[in-house]
Amino acid sequence: MSRILAAVDAGTYYHHESLYGARFAGAFDAVIYAPHLPNADLSSIDILLITCRTDPAVLAPAAQNLQRFVAGGGTLVAMGSTGPHSWLPGVSWTDTPTNFWWWKEGGELGLIAASPHDRFFEYVPLNNAIWHHHGAFAPPPGAVSLIEARGLGSVLYLDQVSLAPGTLLITALDPFYHHGSHFMPATTRFISGFLPFLRDDPRFGRCHSPR
Amino acid sequence: MSPEGLTHCVFLKAIKGAGGDLPAVIDRYPSAREIDHYTLHECDLSSVRAILLPAHLDQRYFGEIAGVIADFIQRGGRIVFNGHVAWPMLPELQKFVPLPSNSLQNLMVTRLSSHMVFEGVTDADLTFRRGVAGFYARGHNPPPPGALLINGVGPERLPCDWVLTKPSGGEILCHAGNDLWMYIDDQTTAGRIVPQLIAWAGRP
Repeated sequence: MSRILAAVDAGTYYHHESLYGARFAGAFDAVIYAPHLPNADLSSIDILLITCRTDPAVLAPAAQNLQRFVAGGGTLVAMGSTGPHSWLPGVSWTDTPTNFWWWKEGGELGLIAASPHDRFFEYVPLNNAIWHHHGAFAPPPGAVSLIEARGLGSVLYLDQVSLAPGTLLITALDPFYHHGSHFMPATTRFISGFLPFLRDDPRFGRCHSPR
Repeated sequence: MSPEGLTHCVFLKAIKGAGGDLPAVIDRYPSAREIDHYTLHECDLSSVRAILLPAHLDQRYFGEIAGVIADFIQRGGRIVFNGHVAWPMLPELQKFVPLPSNSLQNLMVTRLSSHMVFEGVTDADLTFRRGVAGFYARGHNPPPPGALLINGVGPERLPCDWVLTKPSGGEILCHAGNDLWMYIDDQTTAGRIVPQLIAWAGRP
């Protein structure tokens, strides 16, 4: 049974390019306009992706609907700069100064695979996840951190505990913003692996969750 | 508010509280204020001279209230648009055309006409940030007939910045890139953009 993957469109140019543009056209079964989220019927959706940089102020009024979706067995993916700490329970976030220039200063970003044998990395090699991030999360007990910023916290984690039986996938990475801005090819490669990962991995989607 | 108590420049509040917030232009300029994104259509614009739109604009919303904006321009108001045109909004804004490739040659910025906002700003300081090209523009929003072409990108000088002056006196300044106010603390000649932009947008 194939999963219904939906994405949120906040009306920005980069969401337009990422969700309707030629590169990923057809990758999403449905698109929901962000201001419509509080009253949107999410019951037929298996995986809902909150696209990078959707304003937390627009998402906060939809908090109840989104949490109900996950508690009903859905998978919610909160991409970078969507402020999930302000509309999901148990999300702990710390802002950090963004180092846009590590690659020019001869250093490294300090991202490491926290669960290197996870299937995620078969779809998204770590190199395709490295550009920058604006902060890090402290995952709750029982969550699985996939990518960490050394010494700061997680930048991508999987939480099947907080709103069980549903799943939260929370990341500080913002590939849809940069892909949609025609900026940084690694972000396009990230999405190219990430969307099939969401469709294939047995941990996601309602069809594999207790109802 | 300005000394005479009037707001001249209204900034639409961009995404906040999600990490990576920029310094607020409104803290530096008394004639500028910020309003919530989705209140623009009900805002009293009678004393406002310019509406400055962030690249994070909800273009679907902005397209829905295009009538309000067209009336504002018809009364002599100015619009500063940043970003890539994706959704139907004003008839003067045509869909963004990306560069065919992001080669260095394609990313070079060239001044095409002098303009108050870019006075004293060098092409090199727009093309490069810390020696890296590509932050300024990755393509262009095709200008309407009669627009003054300000900056071009690539060997074909594709107009990434242009300004259209309407018969009413209203103006649309269009920049096909990140918010021009990201240069607020820039230490190069690009640091001239923000004060000159506020002066241009807020002039009588």
